[in-house]
Amino acid sequence: MFRVILHLDMDAFYASVEQRDHPAFKGKPLIVGAAPAQRGVVCAASYEARKFGVRSAMPSSVAKRLCPDGIFIPPRMARYREESDAIMRLISGTGAIIEQVSIDEAYLDLSAAYQRDDADASLAAAQPQAAALKEQIRAERQLTTSIGIAANKFLAKLGSDFQKPDGLTLIREQGKAAFLRPLPIRSIHGVGQVTEKVLLQAGIETIGDLQDYPGDLRALVGSFGPVLKRFGVGEDDRPLHLGEERKSISSETTFARDTEDRKILRACLREQAAEISAKLKHGEIGAQTVQVKLRYGDFTTLTRRISVEEPLTETADIYRLACHLLARDRLVSRPLRLLGLGVSGLGEAVFRQLALPLEVPGRRLEGGG
Amino acid sequence: MNLTISKEQLISGLQAVQNVVSSRTTLPILSNVLLRAQGKLLELTATDLDVTVVCGVEANIKSEGATTIPVKKLFGIVRELNNPEIEIEVDEKHMTSLRSGASFYKINGLSAEEFPALPKFKEDKRVTLPQEKVRGMMKKTAFAISTDESRYVLNGIFLSLKEHKLTMVATDGRRLALVDEEVDVTEGSQGEFIVPAKAVSELNRLLQDKGEVEIRYSENQAAFNLKDEKGASTLIISKLIEGNYPNYRQVIPAEPKERVGLPREEFLHALRRAEIMTSEKSNSVKLSFSKNNLAITANSPEVGEARESLAINYKGKDMAIAFNPKYVIDPLNALTNDEVFLELIDELSPGVLKINGPFLYVVMPMRLS
Repeated sequence: MFRVILHLDMDAFYASVEQRDHPAFKGKPLIVGAAPAQRGVVCAASYEARKFGVRSAMPSSVAKRLCPDGIFIPPRMARYREESDAIMRLISGTGAIIEQVSIDEAYLDLSAAYQRDDADASLAAAQPQAAALKEQIRAERQLTTSIGIAANKFLAKLGSDFQKPDGLTLIREQGKAAFLRPLPIRSIHGVGQVTEKVLLQAGIETIGDLQDYPGDLRALVGSFGPVLKRFGVGEDDRPLHLGEERKSISSETTFARDTEDRKILRACLREQAAEISAKLKHGEIGAQTVQVKLRYGDFTTLTRRISVEEPLTETADIYRLACHLLARDRLVSRPLRLLGLGVSGLGEAVFRQLALPLEVPGRRLEGGG
Repeated sequence: MNLTISKEQLISGLQAVQNVVSSRTTLPILSNVLLRAQGKLLELTATDLDVTVVCGVEANIKSEGATTIPVKKLFGIVRELNNPEIEIEVDEKHMTSLRSGASFYKINGLSAEEFPALPKFKEDKRVTLPQEKVRGMMKKTAFAISTDESRYVLNGIFLSLKEHKLTMVATDGRRLALVDEEVDVTEGSQGEFIVPAKAVSELNRLLQDKGEVEIRYSENQAAFNLKDEKGASTLIISKLIEGNYPNYRQVIPAEPKERVGLPREEFLHALRRAEIMTSEKSNSVKLSFSKNNLAITANSPEVGEARESLAINYKGKDMAIAFNPKYVIDPLNALTNDEVFLELIDELSPGVLKINGPFLYVVMPMRLS
């Protein structure tokens, strides 16, 4: 089967929603995020603001320096979520298999609808529908999107970024390696500042350099090496993650006042365990790893985890393992600012093995105030 | 310190003690073996602070003394020596010289004074038993020890010396092995304690079929003094697991509905073969009893299926029960009897494996899928 994957990315999403909702902001450098006087950062910037070099995650104070006439407004997350839901509804109208990556980004798998004689003919056949989807979002939501079409997630994402804003880019299978050659390695999703620095030091500046690199990339970037090598030639067989498959469930409590009172900590863990257990049972899943997170008064934060053979769902089991982790490593050595409990390794809760009706005492959180 | 010793004697001493030395120790002295030359014996001691093993071997001692040297290095060299005689000499700087035929080694050591002192016993409860008996009892229970560190009281064998009986119990919460034997124990030496898995595995290694073992124990430690017929001895001292062992009597079912005699070897081999057709997801074997027949079946979609048929003497009503095959194979491996008896109630109640002798094994079934 030839894969037909679309990556859809809303253009400057938060800023575009604000500009649409407030026509006065149209055509102006709009910066959604913390006010420059505060210690916060930029969440999103309109294309007008980006011309000045303003980027998301940049401290607002820096953004103000780069773009003195920028209009700073606080984000309205509820509004963006509402908008995101409306757009996702339009997307699901395409009949595609959908993986929503974030509030403003999704992968669509349209392979089933566009099987042609070869890979590139299949991709080309999907182009009109991609264009129609962009048009529909513009007409119904007054927002622009960029879409990449390719035979895998990696190339589709690269494509959506290629002619932003309001772009539609198809990356053909034939000649894809050559297409990638001139692009900077930074354009590979997953190559952040740290990896980029390592690669640049090894003389790898473009994807072409990456393709030609004779050594073992694992020596440079560890386990990312083989994946990176394949991305470099445009290969990627990652499937779409479907549904709202959760990887972990957790609960955290920040205490009003730092505490090492065992009674309070036990009650807190028990409550968190009950909350997690309820979610596990609701989803009919079990967890094989329990993790505790502690933050002390000085903000030192640490986590400890333990894995078990059989999936857990019961409050008592999660609580027991959490207490075990704290007691085993004597973690409550000073007052805690925050205590968190989480589970991961989620899967089907199969309890086929029955247990003996033994009452086994576990470790207790002893001592302290 | 200066002595000569046969390669054979030194190796047997090192083999006895070197196993307790942890490779991940943070205290350098714990990687060392303590050598003490006294009278006609070279005494070797190694410890990880939880378990200590002391073994005396014959040597020709020219001058008495003590030192410590890295045990893995010493063992590695001695094992490969060609010459049957070894001369060991230690200078005041804890430098050990090893001379054997054409081989000459100098090994850096640490002062014997830095080595942790042997634990002292205050109150002394003691009992002396044939090694063969203790060894046999441990073999019949050790496999059921739990490795779940959060249920640490189960991470060892529970020993009870009461009413002229020594009882050993191990369980992991899904199966439980119990064995008891008549012993002579004085009123004052009665008691109960939990020996941790590491000490159990050392004992399993060091106990012989001849000679006696003197067990001494107090609140938090136990010593096992193994004496062979010639009077040579090996001492194992272990910390005990603190905590209350669960009330295991309550999980032993009272009245079975069916009691089936099974040929142990045949049953074991059939299970071992059928186990091959299980997988992580479908890790059970089903035992179906019908008139004079036991069918053992395993089936995992991704592997294949197994069907074994055993002619047995069974007159009860047809019934099927599923077990984790490992939980049935383990005790069958540890036993030597020709015939075993399986007592069953129904498909969701514990099964009990017995022999003509003081052994009992309770195993919880798996739900039939």
